Formats: sequence, C-alpha cells, structure tokens
Amino acid sequence: MAGLTRRELLTATAGTALLAGCGAEVRKPAPAARVSIVKAPAYDQSVYDRMRRLLSEHLGDVKGRNILLKPNLVEFEPQSSINTHPMLVHAAYEAFRAMGAASVRIAEGPGHRRNTLDLAEAAGYFKTVPDFENSFVDLNLDEVTHVKPAVQFSRIKKLYLPNSALGADLLVSMAKMKTHHWVGATLSMKNLFGVVPSGIYGWPKNVLHWAGIDESIADLHAAFPHHFAIVDGIVGMEGNGPIQGTPKPAGILVAGSDPVAVDATCCRIMKIDPMQVRYLQLAMQRSPVAQLAEANIVQTGEAIASVATPFELLPLFQKLRLGTA
Amino acid sequence: MSIQLVVSKQNRDGGWPYVQGSSRTEPTVYAILALLASNELETAQRGIAWLRAAQLPDGGWPPQAEFDESTWVTALVALIPVEHLGAPAHARAIRWLVGTVGEESTATYRVRQWLLGGTQSPEHEFPGWPWIPGAAAWVGPTSLAIVALEKELARRPTDAVRRRIEEGHRFLMRRMCLNGGWNHGSVRALGYESSPYPETTGMALTALRGVRGRGIDQSLDVAVRFLGECRSADAMNWLRVGLLAHGRLPEGYSPSPLVCRTLPEASLDMLVAGSSHRGANYFWG
Repeated sequence: MAGLTRRELLTATAGTALLAGCGAEVRKPAPAARVSIVKAPAYDQSVYDRMRRLLSEHLGDVKGRNILLKPNLVEFEPQSSINTHPMLVHAAYEAFRAMGAASVRIAEGPGHRRNTLDLAEAAGYFKTVPDFENSFVDLNLDEVTHVKPAVQFSRIKKLYLPNSALGADLLVSMAKMKTHHWVGATLSMKNLFGVVPSGIYGWPKNVLHWAGIDESIADLHAAFPHHFAIVDGIVGMEGNGPIQGTPKPAGILVAGSDPVAVDATCCRIMKIDPMQVRYLQLAMQRSPVAQLAEANIVQTGEAIASVATPFELLPLFQKLRLGTA
Repeated sequence: MSIQLVVSKQNRDGGWPYVQGSSRTEPTVYAILALLASNELETAQRGIAWLRAAQLPDGGWPPQAEFDESTWVTALVALIPVEHLGAPAHARAIRWLVGTVGEESTATYRVRQWLLGGTQSPEHEFPGWPWIPGAAAWVGPTSLAIVALEKELARRPTDAVRRRIEEGHRFLMRRMCLNGGWNHGSVRALGYESSPYPETTGMALTALRGVRGRGIDQSLDVAVRFLGECRSADAMNWLRVGLLAHGRLPEGYSPSPLVCRTLPEASLDMLVAGSSHRGANYFWG
C-alpha cells in the first residue's frame, strides 16, 4: 500500500465496488437527431433571416404555443462575449411572433448578479428588444413549484423551478458557445442553470455545485424535455470561460430539438470531445431520445469540418481535446 | 417611489412581493424597515404579523411560503427592531444565525476532506454564512448575518454572538479582492483574480463597520470609485450604506438617478436617502 494516498485508496475501493455491482445499461435505439449549423459571420440584420429559416425548418407550426426564450445573461459587459447577444434573442422573438406563437417571453435568472434588469439593460437588451421590460421574466424572483425529476443524478434534496419555465409549451435555451472552468464547455444544457431560482438558492446557485455540477445539468435536462436549443457561436468565448475568457469568433449558429446532440455538435466544432464531457454522458444515459454519437446526428447546413475551430482550453481540460483520448 | 407607494403595494396577507405576485420575506422586511422609518406603524405591523406567521420551527425564515427551509433571509428579519418583531421570534432567529455555517465549515465536510487527502483552503479557515444551508458561505449572506448579530451584540451581548461576529469579520477580510472590495465569493478561482462587485463591496463594508486597516481603506476607495460608475439601484444603495458605516459617504452626495426596479431597491433607497440618512440606523442600531 506504500505510495497510495487516502484519496487513491478510496477511489480504487469505490471503483471496484462500482464495477462489481453495476452492469452497463443498454439503451433502446432512438431515431437520429437533426442539428443545423448555420454560418453567421456577424451580429447584423442578416441574423433575423437566418433565425427565421432555422426555426421554421426545425419547429414548423408553433401557432398557439407559449414560447420562453432563455438567453445566457451573466455580466454587465455589452462589449464582451459573456452574454448571448441581444440581437439574436430579438431575432428569435420576432421569428416566433411571425410564426404565430401565442406568446413569446424572454426569461433569465442570472447566477452572479442580483440586479437582473440592470444587467439586461447594460448588456444591450433594452436598446435592442422593444418593450423589453414587459416581455421579460426574472426567473430568480418568479413563483416556484417543487419538482421531482423522473430521473435524478444530482444530490439536490429539493428542486424548485420557476412556474414561467415549467408552464411554457416550449423552452428555448439560447446559450453562448463558451468554455467553462468547471465542466469544460457551457452550451445549451448548462444554460439551464439560469432557470434555477436564486431567490430560493442564492447568488450564485452554489447548491448545484454541492449537488454535483454535471449531475445537476443532467437533472435540468430531464426536467425540461420540451427544450429547443440554439447556441450563439457568432462570437464565443475560449480559455477561462464562462466569464474571464477571451472572445473567440466562430461565425456560426447551432440549433436543434435534441440539446444533447446540439451540445455534442458544438463541442466537436470547438474541438472538444463530447464523449469526455460528463454531463453529456449522464443526460444520454437515461434519455430515450438523446443522441451523442456523431453517427446518430444528421447534420444540416454546414459540415462540422468546415466550421470547426479549436477553442483554447485551460490546462485542466486539455484531456477533453478531441483526438487526445 | 414614495412611502405611500410602498403602502399601496402591500398584499392582502400583509406581506410584499418583489414587484408583484405573492408575498416574499426579503421585500417584506425592507418594506417594514422603510415604513418604520416613516412612522407608518399600522401598515408595518401587518407586515410583521405576516413575518411572524412565516417563521419556521427551527427559528429561521424561508424566502417564500412555498419553500420549507430557513435561509439567508433570516438575517434580514433579525434587522427588524426586537420591540416590533417580538422578543421570542427575534431570539429564535438569532439562535438560528449563530448555529448556521457554510457547508465547508461543518465537521462532516472537514472529516470527508481529511479522508480524501484534501488540504483546507485558507479561505475556509473561518466560517461564514451560506445563502442556504448545505452550500458554501458567501460574502452577501455573511455580511447580512454579521450586521444582524452586531445589533444583537449591542443589545444583549453573549460570547457565542461575539465569536461568530469575529469569525465573520475574518471570513470577509480573507475574501477581500487583491486591490480592495469584494466579489461574491473567492478571491481567485483557478489562479485568476476575482474582480470586486459594487453591491457586495457595499454589503461587506457595512458588516465591517468599526474595523480599520489598509485593506478597509483600499476597499473604501473602491466603493467611492464604484459610486461614480454604478449602473444599478441595488448596488448604489449598498455602496451608500457601506460608506455611511465608515463615515466616508462624500458630503452632500446626490446619487445619479437610477430606476428602482424592485420593492427592496426602492425601500432601501428610502432608508439611505435624505441628508440625515436616518434610516441607515436600522443597520447598526
């Protein structure tokens, strides 16, 4: 036993028990997922047309449905690449209205700053989205319901979620394509941390870290099965994301109805191996429809190879680099 | 927002919402403090009755009725003068605060860390308060708990309260950013320095009233700088309270007009506005 630390001893013991006790669960084959990659070189007027075509192609008829757009709003920096660009959110807002949605609302519950509307104003949302304040719901302060996910991976004892998100016919996660200093990459699924109400759990939503970050992401994915994913990769973030990284222009939008497949595609574009991203593996395990393997994802629009660009990773995450396994 | 608007926003059950909707603990406390400062006692008493009914058996308060666990809002309720809240309810709140620590300071966590061969972070040496039990301690809830306990210490000193205040002060001093001010959590993450936020800087300075030193002076300079560039009423309010606590709010300071978007923002603005800043006394008795 010489040379073994307590951590190594415990890890080895737990690993042996796991191997002895668990057989790998075999999932029934699910239909292929469809993910679109659309070139979008800049935040300009062309984004509106691209968004309209993207949504029509994937969602078809949304007449009479209540849509909730969930951007990633983190910090007071309009010039940085931290937040989902307001023009993209406005483009989705306009597209859903034109498609006949009964209601379209924008909602977010930032995890760091309490002053949500001030943050949205500083991030350019008031200027870009007409009558923004009346279209917006602060999920941190919304009415909540105690939810018991059908599948729970995390150690969270009680999960409360905002009624505006639970009551939407379609939750649209509008994430930013960023690296993340705890989980490798933050995309459409990690963006759902923003629906967890800080009014209950605090700023930041640290209870999710104690319950297991990857596991909590998988729980939220299970809690919102009708969730459409759009990732803003026009300018993403690399390095020490999701806040202190550097802007990384990738010039693309990625979208689809299977958030696991969308995030896996984004990872491949960022030259990150999605098979090594733990929350994607967890979500895949229990979802009857999620697709992670490239062979099970039908790509429309651009090919991954034509838009792929390596996002700089912190040393801790070099092991996630595609092709290093 | 005028005090009459605060009165008009009161729900039928006696509590207040953040903007509209069901009554919540945080806006109810701030509304009560603003009403007490304006001598609107009858309306305030209905709010206090709502709060008393919402107290949980462990002595703390949940942020809203749908949630059945005590959280950081307990420190806010304990700011209400004991003669209004009632001595039994207040004493139970103080007991809850004295007994609550961030998860990283619990014996269970420390034993687990030892078993796993982990070393204790210097930031974890002194216990602070979490937003919600079971999670780590943060600058915001720690600052509010210290302010509530300082008021209790002045009223009814005990060793337990004094000890928690001292630990809380040390917690905050350890988490001061490199050049002063406070982020909401760690001084650095993965080797990267954290930047201070205006609202947490104001809150921490309020909690460190009476503490002197170079770091405090640096943080006061940071707070004065933030005053000139602040983009949120909440942050502006806490910066003013924090600077008032150290006698450093610039003479005749008049804040740039910022929209108060929630009832806590409007109520706190009322407490610190005016030339006498009399309402700020609710933070230090």
